[in-house]
Amino acid sequence: MIIKDVVCPFCGCLCDDLDVEVDGQTIIKVQNGCTLAEAALTGNNRLPAPIRRTATGWEEISFDDAIRETADILLAADRPLLYGWSSTHGEAQSIGVHIAELLGAVIDNTSTVCHGPSILAIQEVGHPGCTLGQVKNRADVVVYWGCNPTEAHPRHMSRYTTFATGFFVPEAQKDRTVIVVDTRRTESAEIADEFIQIERGRDYEVLAALRAIVRGKGSILPREIAGIAREQLFRVAEICMKAKFGAIFFGLGLTMSSGKYKNVRNAIELTDELNRHTKFTISPLRGHGNVYGSNEVFTWITGYPYAVDFARGIAFYNPGETTAVDILRRGECDAALIVASDPGAHFPHAAAAHLAKIPTILIDPHRTATTPLCRLQMPCTMAGIDAEGTAYRMDGVPIRYKKFLESSYPDDADILKRIHDRIREVQGS
Amino acid sequence: MRAVLNTGRNVPQGVAVEHKGSPDYRAAVSVCHMNPVDLMELGSNEGGHVALMSRAGSVVLTTRVAEGMNRGEVFVPLGPYANRIISAETHATGMPDFKGEPVDVVPTDEPVMTIGELMESIGGVWYDH
Amino acid sequence: MTELLVKNACVIDPLNKILMEIMDIPVRDGRIVESVSAGADVIDARGCLTLPGGIDSHSHVCGTKVNFGRYMSPEDMRAGRTARRGKMHVTSGYYVPTTYGNSYRYSAMGYTTVLEGAMAPLEARHTHEEFTATPHQDMLANTLFDGNWAIMEAVRAKDIKKAAAIVAWTLSAVKGYSIKLTNPGGTEAWGWGQDLSSIHDMVPNFNVTPAEIITTMIAANELLGLPHSVHLHCNNLGKPGNYRTTLQTFDLVPDTNNGRQTLYATHVQFHAYGGTTWRDISSKADDIARAVNAKPQIVMDMGQIMFGRTMTMTADGPMEFNLYCLHHNKWSNHDVELETGSGIIPVLYSKKSLVNCVMWAIGLELALLTKNPYQCLLETDNPNGAPFVKYPEIIGLLMSKRYRDEECATLNGGTEQRTALSALDREMDWNEIAIMTRAGQAKALGIDAQGKGHFRTGAEADIAIYPIRCRDVDPTTEYRKVIEGFQKTMYTIKRGRVVARDGDVIVEGANSTFWVNPVVPDDLNVASDPEFVKKFEEYYTVRMGNYPVQDVYLPRGKCIRTEAAL
Repeated sequence: MIIKDVVCPFCGCLCDDLDVEVDGQTIIKVQNGCTLAEAALTGNNRLPAPIRRTATGWEEISFDDAIRETADILLAADRPLLYGWSSTHGEAQSIGVHIAELLGAVIDNTSTVCHGPSILAIQEVGHPGCTLGQVKNRADVVVYWGCNPTEAHPRHMSRYTTFATGFFVPEAQKDRTVIVVDTRRTESAEIADEFIQIERGRDYEVLAALRAIVRGKGSILPREIAGIAREQLFRVAEICMKAKFGAIFFGLGLTMSSGKYKNVRNAIELTDELNRHTKFTISPLRGHGNVYGSNEVFTWITGYPYAVDFARGIAFYNPGETTAVDILRRGECDAALIVASDPGAHFPHAAAAHLAKIPTILIDPHRTATTPLCRLQMPCTMAGIDAEGTAYRMDGVPIRYKKFLESSYPDDADILKRIHDRIREVQGS
Repeated sequence: MRAVLNTGRNVPQGVAVEHKGSPDYRAAVSVCHMNPVDLMELGSNEGGHVALMSRAGSVVLTTRVAEGMNRGEVFVPLGPYANRIISAETHATGMPDFKGEPVDVVPTDEPVMTIGELMESIGGVWYDH
Repeated sequence: MTELLVKNACVIDPLNKILMEIMDIPVRDGRIVESVSAGADVIDARGCLTLPGGIDSHSHVCGTKVNFGRYMSPEDMRAGRTARRGKMHVTSGYYVPTTYGNSYRYSAMGYTTVLEGAMAPLEARHTHEEFTATPHQDMLANTLFDGNWAIMEAVRAKDIKKAAAIVAWTLSAVKGYSIKLTNPGGTEAWGWGQDLSSIHDMVPNFNVTPAEIITTMIAANELLGLPHSVHLHCNNLGKPGNYRTTLQTFDLVPDTNNGRQTLYATHVQFHAYGGTTWRDISSKADDIARAVNAKPQIVMDMGQIMFGRTMTMTADGPMEFNLYCLHHNKWSNHDVELETGSGIIPVLYSKKSLVNCVMWAIGLELALLTKNPYQCLLETDNPNGAPFVKYPEIIGLLMSKRYRDEECATLNGGTEQRTALSALDREMDWNEIAIMTRAGQAKALGIDAQGKGHFRTGAEADIAIYPIRCRDVDPTTEYRKVIEGFQKTMYTIKRGRVVARDGDVIVEGANSTFWVNPVVPDDLNVASDPEFVKKFEEYYTVRMGNYPVQDVYLPRGKCIRTEAAL
């Protein structure tokens, strides 16, 4: 049986045109998806049953026991950390926030080590953006800054930008000029019309230089900026100002390099400047499939998109203080619930090591690098495969994940609901 | 040799990311991509091991040539190996210095740890079923 | 079966022509009934003012751009935060509260129904998720069509039936309630960074004018028999001299519906400016009100601004960009493919600013100069003009010339010359206020037929009991009491259940979302039109099968079916 228009849950592109062929409960073939989709949908690394660490190794336990123990651990903790959330659906994310509220816990999501700095920049200067279809249908200039879509968002260019035909861009690549800015000549750079090779860590200066040119002050620029000849910058600024519709996409090259949110802020302000000449938008390339969803859900419930601390009874937000890596680095949390993410693999080791010191519970379908660090893991459904629910694409468009397999795993929303209810019951509210 | 560390996503890492116990994942993320001239000057060959050392720790990786890599730069895919040498300092932004960390690159005969060994070295207990 | 008896209520129910009668209100299973048994729960209203639950006919509280406004404003989140208490969740935000914040604060003020001012069909799912998290108000969604490509093609082809068919499919797919047009044509022009300056300008590439879009959509709306009329945010919002655009727009509107208005013009204060630049801006509220007084087919709402900080957020992308150029505040923009746009920027309305003072006066003038209170409703385009928690202060101003004079004395000195407010003696009475805050909205939105906005037998038992004894308060002088009274009900009852008591929400909510399914003949079902489907799949970036909002998003949805006159 072929299920059409399946939504791939892997990256922020949230391609919803996959055709998946299933036989019973096995996925045989994935059409239209990229290699990452193929791997995500056809993998088989799922933990069969809940496990608990013992003095000598691991033992399997029941869901009932695991849930009760999880609630007990979280209730006993002074400062629990609830982290992750990006690979599951909004329904689970929502319950997670309510659990944190009940416990007075800190809840954070993977933005914290990905586009958190972009959010900080947006909180300073705003976000002039659009949905991806605006880019597909109108953009004659596309800029990829500090990102490598060929590797991390393989279908971005074919679904939304360079290679996509649009209403006003019928010849796709022929009608578009692609500019790539990176420290090295990546595969994405290979297809660019203009490649700006920038010295590492110097995006801020180059963005400032472009802003100067756009404001008509290009004459102040030295011959070379961050390893780039000023002529190239003049040329690129001209391309941008003469565009009918320009779209900038940026990634971890800006958020993870020194300057962090200041780099992103400068890029946003460049976009603002360009809007005085023509139409320009800027958007982050979100990594996980539903990380933007966790920002949306956290925000409409608490007011803040990540790093929310309920310890004071109100929702409190202070990145650097209430962010997961910092809390772990300071050894500040005394229990952790990790859902749909892998800090064991993706956090600096000094932060990840703390997870092994405290009672850590993991709710994740797979054996991950966090599994060895936790006290207890519960497998669950995979949103987009055997669980349906809401996800938010990198541009904010909400799409419902399809469920096209049945499994015996519980939905993580159900697991979380049971934990939530148990906590409420014990608290007597 | 002194170098600047870049970490990030790539396809092999992304394909294997949901199978962290697999040899494919280890092969994808325990790699240090280097400029070929740098590798040569180091006196090493592709496939040989190097130890990367930073203020946050050290890790042994397998080298791989990357034609587009700049001199003086190395690329390690996001993952537990890269995170051995990334500091948890975030400068009050919440975001560690995943890109731009200065590292020393030294050829070595030390083996590359397995994921299990890596996680056990920070207090974990590997799970095999 | 649950029964409730509200005794000794001093009722004003304008739609039933009840004016300050002390009476009992019997409720059974969430509806007003003739009588209840002796076993009913009793609430003694003690002669206090009792109105049908408040209805906000235009408020931005749920959806993509509202949430944008939240997460880009952590400073506002800090300003309005409350801790978890009893049944109430944590809330944050002063001018863009979180969903629970909105819900509790509306409930404290006695509001039980809210129309979300703007929902982009592509992002409807988000709006519905937030509706469920605004649990104490029944919700409805104004659905944006101002830059809709398929609609503009139908307009160009002068095909009203086609336009109606597209509206029908879209509204039922995304579970919207009504047609919303924001700067029609202008939001498409903004896709290229442009705007339109007159209702007869051509939309680039689509070659239709705003006037054509408006008239076609009005005709389509009436053809479909939708409960609400077209809901319009006129072109040229905020520009000095724009009153002409507004009057020209009003001249387009036929009187084709006997039951209600044919056009709902929203936040008209922003569209009532004389002058030519910011330097000589003046009030043209009297021209606008005169036009509305002569046209029963038009209902407007005030769009009142109040001094202080707030956030502007509308689908009117180009207007928001102009504000950015003016104020250099943090600016967000979000254009939605094939459909519409949006922009968000914080603002500060200041008494030192002559322009802001003129704006403040205009909103009040519109209300005071409109003869029939059903034709000018109390709104602030929350949060664009002011957060909705300011409604009680607006009531105070409308009911008391003295209060207005005291405020006018603190304004920029040049205000008096540019406005007529200080010459207006009218003081609204309790009945008029009741009309402007619920009865008028119920009628304009077409939800009086759903049992909202009145206490007729069978109506939904949405009841607000305010700590005001009308006969003991002189609103013309004791405006502080009026304001305090409207800020916090003694009881807010929704569907017969007490949800708020003296400002605290005491139960978990279970709201409903009203939406419309306009039924059209099979040959007008655009989902079977190969041309429509082809263009959809080619130009959108989501598949047509994944676009409709699934039933699961409306756990207690109330579908209103209409039959098209085709």
